[in-house]
Amino acid sequence: MDALLLQLTALVYLAAGILAGAARVLSHGWLSRAAVVALGAGALLQGLKFSLLHTADSPPPLTDGPTAVSFMAWIGTVAFLALLWRFRLVGLVALVAPLSFIGVFYAALSPAAVAEAEVGAGSLPHAHVLLASAGLALLGISGMAGAAFLAEYSRLKRKRHLVGSPAWPSLEALDRVNALALALGFPLLTLGVVTGALWVRSLHGAPWTGSAHETWCLLAWLVYAVLVTLRFGLGQGARRSAQTALAGFAFAGFAVVGVELLL
Amino acid sequence: MKLLLMGMNHRSAPLEIRERMAVDDPVPPLRKLVSSDEIDEAVLISTCNRVEVVVLTREIESARHRLRSFFRRDLGDASLGERELDGCCYVHRESEAMRHVLRVASALDSMVVGEPQILGQAKEAYRTAVECGASGPILDRLFQRAFATAKRIRTDTRIAEGPTSVARVGVGLARQIFEDLSGKRALMIGAGEMIELALTALRKEGLESVCVANRTAERAAELAGRFDASAHGLDELPALLSDADVVLTSIGGSRPILTRELMQQALSARRSRPIFVIDIGVPRNADPAIDALEEVFRYDIDDLASLASANAEGRRQELVLAEAIVSEEQQRFEGWFVALRAVPTIRHLRSRVEEIRNRELERGLARLDLDDRSREGVEALTRSIVNKILHAPLSRLRREAEREEGMAYLELARMLFGLDDDETSDESSER
Repeated sequence: MDALLLQLTALVYLAAGILAGAARVLSHGWLSRAAVVALGAGALLQGLKFSLLHTADSPPPLTDGPTAVSFMAWIGTVAFLALLWRFRLVGLVALVAPLSFIGVFYAALSPAAVAEAEVGAGSLPHAHVLLASAGLALLGISGMAGAAFLAEYSRLKRKRHLVGSPAWPSLEALDRVNALALALGFPLLTLGVVTGALWVRSLHGAPWTGSAHETWCLLAWLVYAVLVTLRFGLGQGARRSAQTALAGFAFAGFAVVGVELLL
Repeated sequence: MKLLLMGMNHRSAPLEIRERMAVDDPVPPLRKLVSSDEIDEAVLISTCNRVEVVVLTREIESARHRLRSFFRRDLGDASLGERELDGCCYVHRESEAMRHVLRVASALDSMVVGEPQILGQAKEAYRTAVECGASGPILDRLFQRAFATAKRIRTDTRIAEGPTSVARVGVGLARQIFEDLSGKRALMIGAGEMIELALTALRKEGLESVCVANRTAERAAELAGRFDASAHGLDELPALLSDADVVLTSIGGSRPILTRELMQQALSARRSRPIFVIDIGVPRNADPAIDALEEVFRYDIDDLASLASANAEGRRQELVLAEAIVSEEQQRFEGWFVALRAVPTIRHLRSRVEEIRNRELERGLARLDLDDRSREGVEALTRSIVNKILHAPLSRLRREAEREEGMAYLELARMLFGLDDDETSDESSER
């Protein structure tokens, strides 16, 4: 049932991405509305999938990579949908839906998670994964808004036509989304790092073991601490903030996923 | 008589050339143009997007040469080379020239298709030509036809729907930079018609805080009063720029007023907030060098042109209808214009017949001993006979003259009535 729901969610996200892409090419308003509805339906299905985990006799852990990525995709999608109406982000569904699809598809293809007993340490692993994933999802939205800002900035500076519809959000809206996602994502990431340290301490007796994952995650947190200071403390401009948000998320992505795969 | 039009517009010439051709006062060059032998009538249309002269001439080639020198010497500056000018100008003759004038007045040739300003600008150009004696009966008729065509197109098609002004295109762009215009501050530099239209468009967007800065404070105050805005002099620009989010400028002057130094000074007080500059002045009011400043988004009239052409795509169906109306109206004017070639023949024929009537009447009356009343009666009788005889052939000649093959009828009439024979042979044959 879980696997089927996950596959169905991936399919719905894919449909949302295709509809949003078609809306951009064909400039049909109803297609972009359908894409938003499909993205919302995907988020509901994925939410249902996560809520069903707690009804299982032996709840699977969330600490494995695929589940964490899937959870991150869900939080990112839900956060995006919440911001969509406030900041008229319909134009960005074409970016978000494929990312959500990739996250869920990766989880759907991966083998089932290991038993929770092997992970241990009570609710700390769950808290760590949930908080860190939610933080990274929001920082991902910040990075995506930064990328969209840079693309729009470049188009407006080069005085090129806006191709297709719906229109991209305004530069100001993208900058606000960037700032808001950073302001919400960084505290969650901080809590994720803290709960991670507590989890490590419960397992090894010390909050720091010097593993590559810990080192890179701490570096990513430090990078974001600098970004937050630049943005909210030193009044960094919109374009620089967009660049740093994009670079910050690329670094965090490498620290969390790349290090696990490569090092 | 032939129509000839020479000009350059936003498609044929870059802004750098058009701003060198901008005409502040069209009267002196227009008077000079019609004083030359080659030109009988002329109207000069000069807007930020086009400079065009339509003339009536008897000899197309010499008039074309005259117009080339007019563009180089009387409108542009001497540094503009002939090749450069030829590369930027278009020339339309006769039917093409008629059609072009109708399309221009109907805003089908405009940067923003369907925009309403060009009709007013064409009317102003025509009025100026009439007042300085440059326009005559033919161009009068052409421009009246053009105004009627424009009115018909606006009534019968939906060409004027959508963003049909530079101001509306500018507002659309502003919405791509700012999330919500209602809380933004606008600065209008200038107090002309374009600024007024932009003010209307910005107010519709809910923009509340607007300043108008102009050289003449009275005009700024008058415009600001109507739109509930504040009026300022140009000396206040540095302070105004540091507060403004949207700047729309359309003011006369040969040098840019928004220089890089001025913008840098304003930006330093803005804490990285973006500023959107719409420059619809020709010559340009904003130095293109300000593009290098990170927070500045500057769009000039040519930048807006390319955006506007995308808007026109969406109204292609309406364009087809509008072009059909132009063709119909062009045909009407062309018919009237071609029929004018019958006028000399008809006048000649009338005077010849009248001459014969008078001569024969004199001879006859000399032989008859009639009182005054009877003489008047005979005179009226002969006039009536002549008019009745001529009515049908002259009407036919007028009608036929509107057609392509009408020339054959005119030549036949001249031959039959001996209009090309000289007077003496005419008289001797009668004897």
